[in-house]
Formats: sequence, C-alpha cells, structure tokens
Amino acid sequence: MTHFLKSRWVDYIILGLSVFLIFCLVFESYIELPRFVSWLGRWHPLVLHFPIVLLLLAIFLGLTGREVPRLLLFTAVLSALITAISGFFLGKESLVKGDLLLWHQWLGAGVALVAAIWYALSKIREEKMILSKTLQGVLLVLIGFTGHYGGMVTHGEDFLALPIEKKQKELPENPLIYGDVVTRILDEKCVSCHNPNKQKGELLLTDLANILKGGENGNTVIPENLEESELIKRLHLPIEDEEHMPPEGKTPLTDVEIEILERWIALGASDTVRLSGLKEPEPLIGLVRSLREPDPSGKWANFPKIADSTLQNLSSDYLSINRVASNTDALSVDVYLAPEYDSKPITNLKRVAKNIVELDLSGLPIGSLEIDMVSLCTNLEWLELDKTPVGDEDIEKLIPLEHLRLLKIYETSINDKSLLALKKLKNLKRLYLWGTGISDSALKEFNKERPNMLIDNGIDPETEAFFVANDTIVDNKEE
Amino acid sequence: MKENENKKENPLKVNRRHFFSQLSVGIGSLALGSLLIPDLFKGNEKGQAGMPLGIPHFAPKAKRVIYLFQAGAPSQLETFDYKPTLRKRMGEDLPESIRNGQRLTGMTANQDKFPLMPPAVGFSQHGQSGTWISDYFPHIAKIADDITVVRSMHTEAINHDPAITFFQTGSQISGRPSMGSWMSYGLGSENKNLPSFVVLTSRGKGNSQGLYSKLWSSGFLDSKHQGVLLRSGKDPVLYLNDPDGISRSDKRHLLNEVSELNKLHHVETGDDEIESRIAQYEMAYRMQMSVPDVMDVSKEPESIVKLYGEDCQVPGTYAANALQARRLAENGVRFIQLYHQGWDQHGNLPDEMAGQAKDVDQASAALVMDLKQRGMLEDTLVVWGGEFGRSNYCQGKFDEANYGRDHHPRAFSIWMAGGGIKPGLNYGQTDEFGYNVVENPVHINDFHATLMHALGLDHEQLTYKYQGRRFRLTDVAGNVVKDLLA
Repeated sequence: MTHFLKSRWVDYIILGLSVFLIFCLVFESYIELPRFVSWLGRWHPLVLHFPIVLLLLAIFLGLTGREVPRLLLFTAVLSALITAISGFFLGKESLVKGDLLLWHQWLGAGVALVAAIWYALSKIREEKMILSKTLQGVLLVLIGFTGHYGGMVTHGEDFLALPIEKKQKELPENPLIYGDVVTRILDEKCVSCHNPNKQKGELLLTDLANILKGGENGNTVIPENLEESELIKRLHLPIEDEEHMPPEGKTPLTDVEIEILERWIALGASDTVRLSGLKEPEPLIGLVRSLREPDPSGKWANFPKIADSTLQNLSSDYLSINRVASNTDALSVDVYLAPEYDSKPITNLKRVAKNIVELDLSGLPIGSLEIDMVSLCTNLEWLELDKTPVGDEDIEKLIPLEHLRLLKIYETSINDKSLLALKKLKNLKRLYLWGTGISDSALKEFNKERPNMLIDNGIDPETEAFFVANDTIVDNKEE
Repeated sequence: MKENENKKENPLKVNRRHFFSQLSVGIGSLALGSLLIPDLFKGNEKGQAGMPLGIPHFAPKAKRVIYLFQAGAPSQLETFDYKPTLRKRMGEDLPESIRNGQRLTGMTANQDKFPLMPPAVGFSQHGQSGTWISDYFPHIAKIADDITVVRSMHTEAINHDPAITFFQTGSQISGRPSMGSWMSYGLGSENKNLPSFVVLTSRGKGNSQGLYSKLWSSGFLDSKHQGVLLRSGKDPVLYLNDPDGISRSDKRHLLNEVSELNKLHHVETGDDEIESRIAQYEMAYRMQMSVPDVMDVSKEPESIVKLYGEDCQVPGTYAANALQARRLAENGVRFIQLYHQGWDQHGNLPDEMAGQAKDVDQASAALVMDLKQRGMLEDTLVVWGGEFGRSNYCQGKFDEANYGRDHHPRAFSIWMAGGGIKPGLNYGQTDEFGYNVVENPVHINDFHATLMHALGLDHEQLTYKYQGRRFRLTDVAGNVVKDLLA
C-alpha cells in the first residue's frame, strides 16, 4: 500500500479528477450526459458522507499540529473529488438550478479543489505551516456551508430552522381562493419538493403559470377537468402507490385540503376569484370557512386527562356527563331536574371544571354555589342558564369564562347591569336573552358595540302576530 | 373465567368459535385444531367496531333530531318544487324522453295517457333565499331563511311500505333497526330518565297509509334502543302508571326483588337482553316521574300556545305533538319522530292537501321558531318530509279541481333546519317537469349519512355485527352531502 501511495499514479488520479471537475464546471452548458453517467450521479447522496468525515478528520489532525497520514489525506481528497463530480452529474438532472443548488455546487467544487491543493502542497517538503493551516481552516468553513446548502436542497429551506411554534397566518376575511388558500396548502405540503431548488418531476408549484404549465407530463392541473388533472389523480391514489403525492413519509393532504384543490380546479383554477365571489351551495365556501375555524379537537388537546371511571362517578340519573367526541377530554354536561333537587352533583364537578366545554343547567333552581362552580369552568364555550333564578351578580361571575361562545339566559330576572359583564366576554357570539329585565335601549346600545354577536330577543313580533292571527287548524276545523 | 363457567352451564353461551375449539380438543389435537381453524388461538373476537359506543366519533353539530315525517308522501309539486312548465303544457302527455321507460305503479301503469297536471295552488318566493313555497304553507314561508329545501331527494321504492321502511331503516325489507335506534345506539342517551328515541303519531283527514311499530323497531340492536311510542291522552306510555293502591315505595321494593331474580338468571344464561330488561324496568320507574312532567303542556304560556295554534292543547294533534317534541328535545331525547298520516293523494288532491297542510304548516313553522328562540336550533336538527314524491301526471280523471297524483320515487322535496345544516339554502334541482333529478341528487342513503354526520357519527364506522356480518344504517352506500353542512 505504501508503495502504491508513493507512486506517481496517485498524483495523476487526483490531478486528472481535478481537471475533469473544472472542465465540467466550465463547459457545463455544453455537456449532455449519457444515461449511465446520469445514473452515477444518483450515488452522490451516498458518497458525500465519506469526504465530510475523512476531511474533517484530516483537518483536525492538521490543525492540532499532528501529522496527517498520507493514506487518510489521499482517500479524503479522492472521495471529495468523486463526490463533487457525482454531485455535478446529479445537478444536471434538474433543468433549472435554483440559488440553493448553485451555491451548493460551487461550494462543493470549492471543497474538492481546495482539498486537492492541500494534497498538492503536502507533497512539497518545504511546505509552510501557516499556508497549510489556512487552507485547512478555509476547507472547514467550506465543508460546513456546502453541507448546509446541500441539506436545504434535500430537506427544504427551513429544515434546520429553530422549532419555533409555527403560527399559520390567518386567512383574511375575504381570501383569494388561489392567492390565500390554494397557495397556503401547496406551500405547506408540496412546495418543499416542487420549488426552483428541487424541481421533482420537473414540476414547479410556486406560481400559477408554472402550475398550469405542469411537470414532465404537462397535465398537472387542467382547469375545469378533475379527471385529467394529474395533481388530483395522484392525491387520490392509495398511499402505497409509488405515484401517490405527497410520497410516503411526507405529510399527506387532509380531505378538506384535497377538496379545496378539487373545487378550485373545477371552477377553472383562477387566481382572481375571492371567497365572496362564490355562490351557495358551492362547497368551496364551507371548505374555506372550515380552514378558518381550527379543528375543535385540536384546541382541546391540552386538557387534563380524564378517566372514564371519573365520569362514571360524577354522573347520576339526573346528571349526564359525556365526552364531546371519542378522542377528546372535553366534556359536555347536562343536568335535569331531579324530584329532590340537590346542588351536590353540580358542585362535585369542580374536579373536572377545566374540562367542561358545554354545560346545561337550564330550568334548575341553582344558587351561588353552582354559579361559583361555573366560574371555575374557564374553558366553557357553551352555557345554558335559562329559566334559572340567576341575577346580575351571578352574571358578573361569568367574566372569567373567556372562551364562552354561546350563552342562554332567557327567562331570567337579569337586568341591564348584566350587559356590562357580558361586554367583557370577548368570544361571546350568540346570546339568547328574551324574557329578561333588560331594556330595549340598553340592548340596542350593546348590539352597537358588538355588531357581530347574534342576539336573540325572542320571536319577531310581526311574525308572531301573523301566527296568532292565522291559526290554520282552527280554520281547518270550521270548514 | 366466568364466561367459561357460563358456557358449561348454558348452551346459549357457546358460539361457533367455542364449539370449534371444544371440537378440536375432542379430536385430541389442539395443533390439528389450529391448523383447521387458523385463528383458533387468537382469542375471542369481541366488540363490534373499533369505535367506542355512546360517544360521537367527532365533535357533533347536532345533538338531537326532530323528524317531522309526513307519512303517505306529500306531493313535491304542491309543496316546494315549483314547475311552471306543467301549467304551460297542461294536459299534454308526459314526454317519453322524460319518463324514459321507467316503471310506474300498478295504479297508473295501465293508463292510456299520462297528462301533465299543474299544481292547483299558487307558488311564491319567500325570504332572502327566494325559496319557492306553495301557498298551502303560509307559516313555513315565514321561516324560509331558516330552512334548507332539498328538491333532489330520490329513493328506490315505489310503494309505501318498502319506501317508508327504507327511509326509517335504510333497507326496503323490514327487520333492520330504525334510524332513531341507530342514533340511540351510537350516541347513548342524554337524559337517563327518558328513552332516547320517542315516537309521536297523528292523523290528518287525507287518504292514509298504515303506521306500525316496526318503523321504530330496534331490529337486531339491543331493545333499549327501540322507539317508544308516546300516546295521547291519560296514559302516554301504556302500563306505566302504578295500579291503584300500589305506592311508589312498594314499586321500588318490587323492582329490587325482580331485579335480583333477573340478575341470577343472567348469570345462568348470559343473555344480554336480561340486562337490557333490568335497565328498562329502572327507566320505566323513573319515567313514571319524568314522562307526566314532560307531557304536561298546561304550564306553557299563552304566547306559545298561540304560536303553535290552539290545537296544540288537544292531545293527539300534530300541533300538540310538535310542542311535545320541543319539550322532549329540551329534556334530552335524542331522536323524536313525529308521523303525520294522510298524505297519500291518489285523488281529490287539492282539497286533501289543503287540509293536510293546515294540520302541519303552522305547528311545523312554530316549532322551528320556538327552537330558534331557545337557541336549540343550534344543536337540534329538524327534518320535514315524506317517503317519496308524487307523479307530475294526473292519476284518474283529468280534472283540475279534483285530480290525483301517483307515487313517484325519482324526485321529491324535503326540508331541514338547524343542527349543523346551512340555513336558507335551495339544494338540488329537478327537470322542468319535476320528474327527474338533474342537479345534486340526494339518495336516502346519502341523507342518512348526512344526518349521522351532523350528529358526529361516521356512517361507515357505526356498525353492528349480526348473523355473521357487520351492518350499518347506510349498509354499503351513502355519501355525506357536505354541501348541506354549515
């Protein structure tokens, strides 16, 4: 082996490969690779690990002032050159090279050539320590950057980004179907492989022109034609199918996302249509809306865990306590009037107060004990207190319920004062309060402040008058 | 362990798997047995589906259903499907291009002609939604923006019994559980003091078809899921009241003793229906208190009585049942089904329909409005409709003042309100003759799937294994009509 390392052939190999690499880079646009050579490029992801390890080892020895074994340096440089050349072959497969790929290419070539120079210098006996160490330093930096850019090409640009909680930007009130909705889906699920840096299947999903242009097959999206649109076809293939997109291992699209893409294509794949431009019963309206309201089970995901036995212990013949859905710890509680009313079962709910999202106490003779329990249910979204003896001071106790979305307090003796407390419930969207002591003027004022809240103040008097005046069944009997 | 003991004691507990496993021991070779029956050692396959029962599969929009079933099949052409073409081409024969050789019932198949008959009633558009509603329904017209009319319903059955059975159970052949039973099975009860599936019936003066308890039967599901018919009058549930001279504490004592005996028998036989029966006795005991309370409408204020119509104070009327339905819904009954008979207008349609409409119009609309003001339309789904539609051609003598319409399964209209359904929508279309669906067809199976979806149930997941295979309400069909969901 040592004999071989001393022979001139070794130097020739390094020199030859370096020259070949430079030649490739210079005449890149004139080169047409035979298929077999292209295939060799596919080995790039495998071999690239060798120069990284070997070079780093050599650099470590060099920088710490130890002798770098010749065999190590030779194999390191050789693998660097092979990696660079195979990388070049692989890069030829993408039609247009994006910024990331270009940076990776030139940095990679830099690593290989600087390594080759180091090798050449090491042959000269009177090498200067300073020069050698500088080279090693440069090489270290180059390896770092090359690897990083290569990683971004393969795994996407934000692969190494710090895992800050990804906050999806909220959809605007009247989103563009393409600009705001479709691109959001594509960005999230498709663009990491179909971008200028990594144009899988020659397909770019970053702008509408390229989406319509399509990939290798050219029929990615055919407006108004779902059957022929390759994109949709592939989304629907079974996950085991090679052609299924996104490929196994990547996050698949949800049903809603697929349907949105389908409807968008069916409607002509336009980039100017807005949500408000759609007419019921176009399903896209509901689909887009459902994107805005996150999956309810998601927001309940961090609730304390509740055992079924706990629920059984808390429930009675007159108190039903159920999970809102099978996969959550969010609870829905209904209480019915027992022949002998007792507040115990309700106050016992304190144990699971944080889990209760729906609570129905309507028609019960509740007092402050029960209301105190209610005020502990800070995740409550739906509360029924109608036909109970609650008063203004009880409503004030509801202020901590910041998630409260719906409140029924009809047929109670609350007054205008309660509106002040209700104003503080920022998420309250539906309010049923007819048959209370609240004055029309105060309610009007309140409504002005919260225009988006649906306030039900009983049946519209005009309609009611019509019903009273036209009793059909009485008419029917007279006939 | 206990199960094994049971098995020894009572042949009822031995199922096929046990039988084969015993058999293989008998042959003297477990190994051979396992060769013959590959999953012999896999243990007892228990449970029906992967999904737990008594809880919605996903967060539901609706918690209960009030189904206002119009038995006999009201004509879509005199209710919600306005077809001016019928007036323009009145008396002309139904074009063969429309009928396309489709089957008719024996009642009209032999007619020489199929003359198109326009509706005897006017139509107008109502609400912001511009929903076409016939003048037979002035009250429902007032809630046009709260309801969604589906004009593209279609079914396969052409006669009442199979059609209504299909609608109730998802199969034209009787024996399957009713949809109310499926909901009860899938969701459990909200209030343990009342059955989760309740039926109320009423009858109009129009030509009627029979109603029978098989329509609310629980089929192969546990009998606790069966619909309970609440009668009008003194005894809403027969034999619920204690006989004279028996006090409530005597009754309690009696039930405790009977329950002990039943439990003994259950240990002996392992028959699950015994447990069911024990639970039913207990519920009946509580219902002795809860039912009279729910049924007592005397406390309803004057304004509500006026809203539903004075008739709501007369037990057994549709209006009374509608008001009852609201009270049952308030008390946590999952599935409340009203049947109003008398919609089978083979003849004398204008008169009969006017009368039928008067029975149900005000109370149906009042119910929706009443639910709405109580915030109950948020989580209660109301459905109004019959089992199929009626023909656009005249049955019998061609007389505009007194015509009839035959059965027509290919297109009919229903409406829904609340419970996760978009309000004020007009969904689906029929052709200009009102004969075939031309846009967004909704099959009964699709309807069932959508209903279940609104209640948080996946119609493909809620199954019950019986006689060797898994059954669902939608059996092997059905797609959720997402366009209808809010």
